[in-house]
Amino acid sequence: MHSKYLIVGSSHAALEAATAIRLIDADGALTLLTRDAHLPYSPTILPYVVSGRSQPDNVVLRNQAYFKDNAIAFVPGATVVSLDPARSSLRLASGESWQYDRLLIATGASPMLPKVAGLADVPFHVLRSMDDAIHLRQAMGQARSAIVLGAGLIGMHAAENMAKAKIAVTVVELQPHALAGYFEPKASAIIERTFARNGVTMLMGQTLRSVERQGDGCLATLADGTTITADLLLVCTGVKPNIGFLDGSGIEIDAGILVDDLMRTNLPNIWAAGDVAQARGFWGGKVVNGILPNAVEQGRIAGAGMADDAGVQPFPGAVPLNTYSFFGQQAISVGRSGGPGSEVAEGGSEDSYRHIVLKDGHLVGIATINDFVDAGIMWQLILRGTDLSPVKSEFIANPQLTGRRLMSQIWR
Amino acid sequence: MSAVTEPSRLATNKPSFVVCEGNEAAAIGVGLSRPDVVAVYPITPQSSLVEHLSQMIADGRLRADLMNVEGEHAVMCGLQGVALAGGRTFTATCGPGLAFMFEPYVRTPGLRLPMVASLVTRDLLSPQCVWGGQQDAMVVRDAGWIQMYCETVQEILDTTVMAYKIAEHRDVMLPINVCHDGNYLSFGVTRVEVPDQQEVDDFLGPPNVNWHIALDPSRPMGVDPLTGGAGGAGPRNFVRYRKGQVRGMQNALRVIREVHAAWGEKFGRYHAPLVEEYRLDDADTALVTIGSMTGAAKDAVDIARDKGEAVGLIKIKTFRPFPLQAMVAALAKVKRIGVVDRSVSFGWNCGPVYQETLGALYHTGKSIPVISFIGGLAGADITVEHFARAIALTRELQWGRDPNEPVWLNEND
Amino acid sequence: MGKCFSTLQFHASRCDGCGDCMTACAQAKAKTDDHAYSRIHILPKIAGEDVELALCRQCADPVCVMNCPSGALTKNADTGVIDWADSKCVNCLLCTAGCAYAGIVYDAEVGHVSKCDQCDGDPACVKACPNEALEYRTAARIFNDYADKEDMFCRGLSACHGCNSELLMRHTMRKVGPEVVMAAPPGCVPGMGAVGYNGQTGSKFPVFHSLLTNTATMLAGVKRQYNRVGRDVLAMTIAGDGGTADAGFQSVSGAAERNDPILFICVDNEGYMNTGMQSSGVTPYGSWTSTTPVGGAMQGKRTEAKNLPIIMTMHNCSYVATASTAFLEDYYAKLTKAIEVAKTGMAYLHVHAPCPTGWRFPSGMTTEVCRMQVRTNFIALWEYDPANGLRFTHPVDRPQPVADYLKMIGKYRHLSEEQVSHIQHTVDDKIAYLRQLTQMAAERRPAPAHKVAVGNTVSA
Repeated sequence: MHSKYLIVGSSHAALEAATAIRLIDADGALTLLTRDAHLPYSPTILPYVVSGRSQPDNVVLRNQAYFKDNAIAFVPGATVVSLDPARSSLRLASGESWQYDRLLIATGASPMLPKVAGLADVPFHVLRSMDDAIHLRQAMGQARSAIVLGAGLIGMHAAENMAKAKIAVTVVELQPHALAGYFEPKASAIIERTFARNGVTMLMGQTLRSVERQGDGCLATLADGTTITADLLLVCTGVKPNIGFLDGSGIEIDAGILVDDLMRTNLPNIWAAGDVAQARGFWGGKVVNGILPNAVEQGRIAGAGMADDAGVQPFPGAVPLNTYSFFGQQAISVGRSGGPGSEVAEGGSEDSYRHIVLKDGHLVGIATINDFVDAGIMWQLILRGTDLSPVKSEFIANPQLTGRRLMSQIWR
Repeated sequence: MSAVTEPSRLATNKPSFVVCEGNEAAAIGVGLSRPDVVAVYPITPQSSLVEHLSQMIADGRLRADLMNVEGEHAVMCGLQGVALAGGRTFTATCGPGLAFMFEPYVRTPGLRLPMVASLVTRDLLSPQCVWGGQQDAMVVRDAGWIQMYCETVQEILDTTVMAYKIAEHRDVMLPINVCHDGNYLSFGVTRVEVPDQQEVDDFLGPPNVNWHIALDPSRPMGVDPLTGGAGGAGPRNFVRYRKGQVRGMQNALRVIREVHAAWGEKFGRYHAPLVEEYRLDDADTALVTIGSMTGAAKDAVDIARDKGEAVGLIKIKTFRPFPLQAMVAALAKVKRIGVVDRSVSFGWNCGPVYQETLGALYHTGKSIPVISFIGGLAGADITVEHFARAIALTRELQWGRDPNEPVWLNEND
Repeated sequence: MGKCFSTLQFHASRCDGCGDCMTACAQAKAKTDDHAYSRIHILPKIAGEDVELALCRQCADPVCVMNCPSGALTKNADTGVIDWADSKCVNCLLCTAGCAYAGIVYDAEVGHVSKCDQCDGDPACVKACPNEALEYRTAARIFNDYADKEDMFCRGLSACHGCNSELLMRHTMRKVGPEVVMAAPPGCVPGMGAVGYNGQTGSKFPVFHSLLTNTATMLAGVKRQYNRVGRDVLAMTIAGDGGTADAGFQSVSGAAERNDPILFICVDNEGYMNTGMQSSGVTPYGSWTSTTPVGGAMQGKRTEAKNLPIIMTMHNCSYVATASTAFLEDYYAKLTKAIEVAKTGMAYLHVHAPCPTGWRFPSGMTTEVCRMQVRTNFIALWEYDPANGLRFTHPVDRPQPVADYLKMIGKYRHLSEEQVSHIQHTVDDKIAYLRQLTQMAAERRPAPAHKVAVGNTVSA
């Protein structure tokens, strides 16, 4: 099989790359290979499938009609097992091989399992695929208690869902605070308190020493000796890029596939984008920034480059960014929570929180809870390096209004 | 001036006879030719022509569109539009009206539109006058229109119909002025024979006037884009168009003869197509005439003949294209000539027909004396007596008495 | 061919920050006056500065949609609006991270994100704005309706840089289509190659180079013949002001009096721009031209322009209208009527064509100059037919000073204050005269809908 453009993966980075290619090249053969059996969906939606808020068939990002209208071949159930760059070909688990002119690797990431004694011998869940979500939702129907290992976004979403489903949940997190990658301790504390108020047991700074099977469930033992029994164990301790099939291909890999600012790998005619890619960090170095907006942007850049779009813009650098709703509250985090030489302005009230980080008059990060700011504008202020010195006090006092004014003046 | 025409007679199958003025004869000829659109604007002495046509259309005798426009300029422009869209057209004008029409008028031959228009010839201003004379026609003799000058009312009718056949001939495709003298022919009433409509239809056939240049969405083209200039294809393009026009004019000499012959065969009336020779074969002295003056001139020739003088007459019917061969053949027969003009050539101090006759004489290979007579300006009558005097003066050339300047026939009237 | 969409346009300089739009939006979306519910966010005005705004742009490459993990946000292929589906939204707020314009924001009052939906094509905010600072621009439909139609001119017409006559010609003939005969008297239209050079033509339809003096009549003749043979062919011209108002006027007047079924479009660039910027009968007072120069004894044209479109109404043409290429929708509406009218009677369109070359302004400013002509009432957009009289189609009740327009243009650079003041007076007089005509029309016109429109105009 041959496809001018071959994309491995079918989530945000892959889909935006396909869109970008079609903007330039309306009919060059374009194929999406995905090991998933489902039509494209976002991993981000999975907690909502678990909760029942979203139905699996209602979260499809592209349907068959779209693929037909855009002359895109969508090939589900296609697991890639190896890449031969010298022959410009991929081999699938089925034995089939695919030739490409231009290849995008957007295979995303898979759950990373912690080293916990006995984990291999107990039934546990992860949450990264639609099938994972469907299984977890089925399991939740039977469970009265659960352990969520890991207080990242997936774990916290799942814990909230379980709590709302009247399941006794315990969240165990190695780090001293929940969502440590996005929020500094004060914010995390607000979130943790909210969870606790809603009946979730939050065990932060705790290590799980071992698990063992107990009936249909499990018995977990923490490092301090505490034991917890649960009908259900969900492991959400982070993800790792899906790069196993690249062994021996000669592609450069660090934490993910290393790419330049146009999402090109070290191999000719091969691009990588999204959670599998390690690209420029806004503040230096190369990082895997596994967030949805990052995948969207990198996918667009890669697709534009694959189609020789003369207007392709280089990746400006990854900025941590998240929006998070929990128990009816909203948390927003853009950029860093601190850093050398930065100054911090904090604000907020009893039920809200604001944390602004500035350095030399430039915005480095902002995080809020129950204090809405336009994340997109904040992101732009960081990327553009907008000098906030003239409006610093106004910005600290009212980042939303000042941000909108700056937007209207600078890039509207 | 009311004609004794019964409308119904135009629709009968046999030739009929009417008594009418020249303008009405022209109108009848137009009616028989079934134009699509007639555009009119009145001017003396043409007015009764367009009045007759308007009435024919109003009565339903002529199923043409009548365009009442705001001036002669608009007349010609409207008809150009009609012709470019494929319609057969007619109008009539004269004198100041022709002058006002001039801008689009000179464009028509270049567009190769086979229009027919009566020129009811009138002298040009100033001095202010409203009467006959051929100055208007002579001024435009190099505008590219074919000019045929009629001698009689019957010839007006016949020539008007023939003009469509000539103009629309594929080898010609040029507009024609059928000229008849203001006052003397326009208002001169005689008996004329009106041919049968069906016969005329057979003679003319349906119009096909825009096969070569059209404003038609089914054949989109740019009509008359800029052509010429120095460099590139400009000069040769322009020359190609101009030469085509000139060639059409020369072809017309043949076509005019053929059409006149065909007319004679079909309707029994033979008109000299280019040049008429009258009692010329044994003449040593001849008058050259044009238009309606010829009748009186022939009378004067007959009187001179009765006196034993070897006098003849050469009448020019077709002045554009100039009938060089026919003129050379006629001129070769005589020893001295008097040319009678109804207009003047200001720069040459003579009449224009005189001037062009000199041009033809060159081609005879001999040099003979010629006198320029100018008469009949602004409605003045050129009588038999005037022509007798012209003959006498011309005959005096044989004794070397040449006035060496034009003789103004009505100077002392 | 792609599709274009209607859009909300904000004119910051006209906004006084009153907030009526937000009230209207809150009412439309939540039946409250509380601005917290508004989806258009006018920022508090700072004295001396233009008002700032945050509003959904309905982007063509909407990052909010790309960032949506649930498929709740979609770009509507018919309306161009970014639709939000409550049933699919999971409230993750990632859309707000994707939007650089604060166009989709979390609305704490309702508990989810909200964004402008353009009120299904009838935005409440626009109607509420007392200053015309918000405009709902629907000109996109022109593209949607006509982009697939063939451009009836070849590429490479040699119009001057910034010429709106070429724009007008291409728009017009694209709409008119091939069943047409077009005349182009001497001027910029044939000058740019519409009729052609040396055997080649720039047009794909029958076109002819009429005389400066005869265009209307020649067209009337063409139309006569096609009517006679029963073919539906539009006879039309795009003529300059010289070929219409000056040497061409008799022909135009005659055709108008006869109500000849033709479409006559006068492209008014206020002089003989094609032949070196000489003055014409419609050159405005004070204009520098090469025959009304500026020197010690003369400061531009000393007489007023004749009001040609008004003169045409006095001929009882079946339809007369003025137009500007800065208001293309208005032009299309008029052109549509004119084409229909020209089947049976004369339609006259007077389109203004500021000439960068001859008037001396930067070629990139043509449309802005067109717009300013209307905003200052230097020209008025109106239409007329014998049954309904005259009515404004784009009344400008609070015009900018005409000096704002004059100062954009080099041919007025020499004007003294007295001359500017004189021009302002003549503009005021002209508008007052037109208003009287609209009043007369309103008084005799039965349809109430028209009365409202005219009433608005008159009350200003």
